[in-house]
Amino acid sequence: MVSGFYRDITKVFLVISLIFISSSLFSKVEKYGEVSFENRAFLEKGLFGQDKNHSSFTLSPEFYFESEDQKTSFTFKPKIRRDSLDDERNLFDIQDLSLIKVKNSYEIRIGIRRDFWGVTETVHRVDIINQTDQVESFDGEDKLGQPMINLSLERDWGVLDIYALLGFRERTFAGEKGRLRAPFLIDTDSAMYESGAENLRTDFAFRWSQSYRDLELALSHFSGTSREPEFINKSISLKIPYYGIIEQTGLEALYIVGGLALKLEAISRSGQGDRFSAATAGFEYTQVGILSSRLDLGWIMEFNYDDRYEESPLALGTRLTFNDMYDSQILSGLMRNEETGETNVFVEASRRVRNCCRLSFESIYFNGGDNSNSIQKMFEYLKQDDFVRFEFIYYLGN
Amino acid sequence: MKKLNKTFLFTLFFLFLNLASTDEFDQGLEIALKADNSFSGYGDSKTNLKMLLKDRKGLITERVMEMILLEVPEDGDKSLIVFDSPRDVRGVAVLSHAHKTGSDEQWLYLPALKRVKRVASKNRTGPFLGSEFSLEDLSFQEVEKYSYEYLRDEDLEGQECHVIKRIPLDPYSGYTQQIVWISKSNSLIHQIHHFDRKSFHVKTQTFSGYKKYLNKFWRPDEIHMINHQTNKTTTLFFQDMTFNTGLSDKDFTQNSLKRSK
Repeated sequence: MVSGFYRDITKVFLVISLIFISSSLFSKVEKYGEVSFENRAFLEKGLFGQDKNHSSFTLSPEFYFESEDQKTSFTFKPKIRRDSLDDERNLFDIQDLSLIKVKNSYEIRIGIRRDFWGVTETVHRVDIINQTDQVESFDGEDKLGQPMINLSLERDWGVLDIYALLGFRERTFAGEKGRLRAPFLIDTDSAMYESGAENLRTDFAFRWSQSYRDLELALSHFSGTSREPEFINKSISLKIPYYGIIEQTGLEALYIVGGLALKLEAISRSGQGDRFSAATAGFEYTQVGILSSRLDLGWIMEFNYDDRYEESPLALGTRLTFNDMYDSQILSGLMRNEETGETNVFVEASRRVRNCCRLSFESIYFNGGDNSNSIQKMFEYLKQDDFVRFEFIYYLGN
Repeated sequence: MKKLNKTFLFTLFFLFLNLASTDEFDQGLEIALKADNSFSGYGDSKTNLKMLLKDRKGLITERVMEMILLEVPEDGDKSLIVFDSPRDVRGVAVLSHAHKTGSDEQWLYLPALKRVKRVASKNRTGPFLGSEFSLEDLSFQEVEKYSYEYLRDEDLEGQECHVIKRIPLDPYSGYTQQIVWISKSNSLIHQIHHFDRKSFHVKTQTFSGYKKYLNKFWRPDEIHMINHQTNKTTTLFFQDMTFNTGLSDKDFTQNSLKRSK
């Protein structure tokens, strides 16, 4: 593990020195990124006896180069994470290592990149370009870099992005000692693929999007290895992730009515058992200057639907923005599952410290509800995983 | 006959009333058009913005951003603002397409998630980056977005000014009315009193360091905003202003928003 860490560091320095050699080609060079320290304290020991406390350290510097005419740019952003408890939470990832060239009628982006699709806030159904770095955070919004060639055409009829996705990244899963893990172990070393090329298959995707004054619309299709695995039993307590080949069509719509944003994301996927559909729909509304103060209060409500499950959980969220010098805010939310009686609640408070840093506290509480219910619970295995998280981020740069 | 006479008199009376007020509205509009004209004709521009925020205790914090603008003669102008500091919002960007009629379009770029998010332009009335400016204060104030009324002529710190009242037509504006001081000599806005939704005089905005560029249009160096409720102030400095830099519609799209650094 230690030698692996040094290997990562060596790789990073190699790339950095390469960049500096080639940096004479670019007129603008910027260095930034972040260093963060995080501690998660759980209220109880894990279901499998995992420790009550763990810390992690993350380093992700970013280097950005731009040509004089701003038509060519290059980005390099590695991410290194070390965890005190769970080896599976150690990470070396290249989040970005890409070149962008802007031409008159198109833009081409080559290399390792991240790209987001979607409009909703709580569940991201359509987003599929990147693999999720699931162990990073509970919200699943952290992604792994994806090698790709992306051609983007921007015309009167909208933006058309065409992607060739070169190779596949496996999802990260908590290890044996890790918290917030499934009731079985996942053997990520023997992942299986439907594709004969395994994780080297080239996948394809496209997305068309257009803005019509108050309406934003997007249609997309992905053809390739699913980012979401199924699991094959190796033994009672050990499972192997199996990544099938899927066809997924997605729809995104966002409509602005006054201060209200109405949102819809829907997908239809085939390739993993029967074809299924799933959707998330809801709204976002911000009350500006509540009670004649500087404070804004944002509301989010989203409904979920998925063919495969009986449950249709409801997500509610609020964001209280203080609009002060420190950008203080409190996010809170709950996910309620009427069928299983489960409720997850989270609160996250954060503020800027000086000009350089940010401090945040987060707390998640899993309430299993009524145990007599016979329906399979979504978060049954997390019932002892209520936690309080503290994070301090130092932003690099000048 | 008697009845007809009465109607006639009433009509005449209202016509006269109407004429009088139309005159004040026309005069107000005329002054506003002149003020708009002294700002127009810049084509496109690039500017570095620095904001100094000062709280009640005199504590000062700084915000730095880059702004590019494109003049769109038939419709509202386009803008792209990229934040540089504080560091936690570095790379966050706001793209706006203003429209002369109807609400503006606005998109936010969140670099951590690589996400472009369309936002309701109604949410522009709150403090911008914790400052005393709202996004509404910083966006284009197209003539068509207000109704006007001429109030009086007045001396403002040695400047002969027209004083007009403008009422935002946008129901989602943060203000019920604004009193604007415009210099008689070169039609430049020198001061604005902002009245909030409860018609309370909440903020005063002053403009200083006007310079004429390319022999055509004027820009201030500095805009100062004081909040009378909190006694906090923000001063906005325009630095390294350049015009006709060759920007086009292509620099104000969602793809360019994603590229902004």
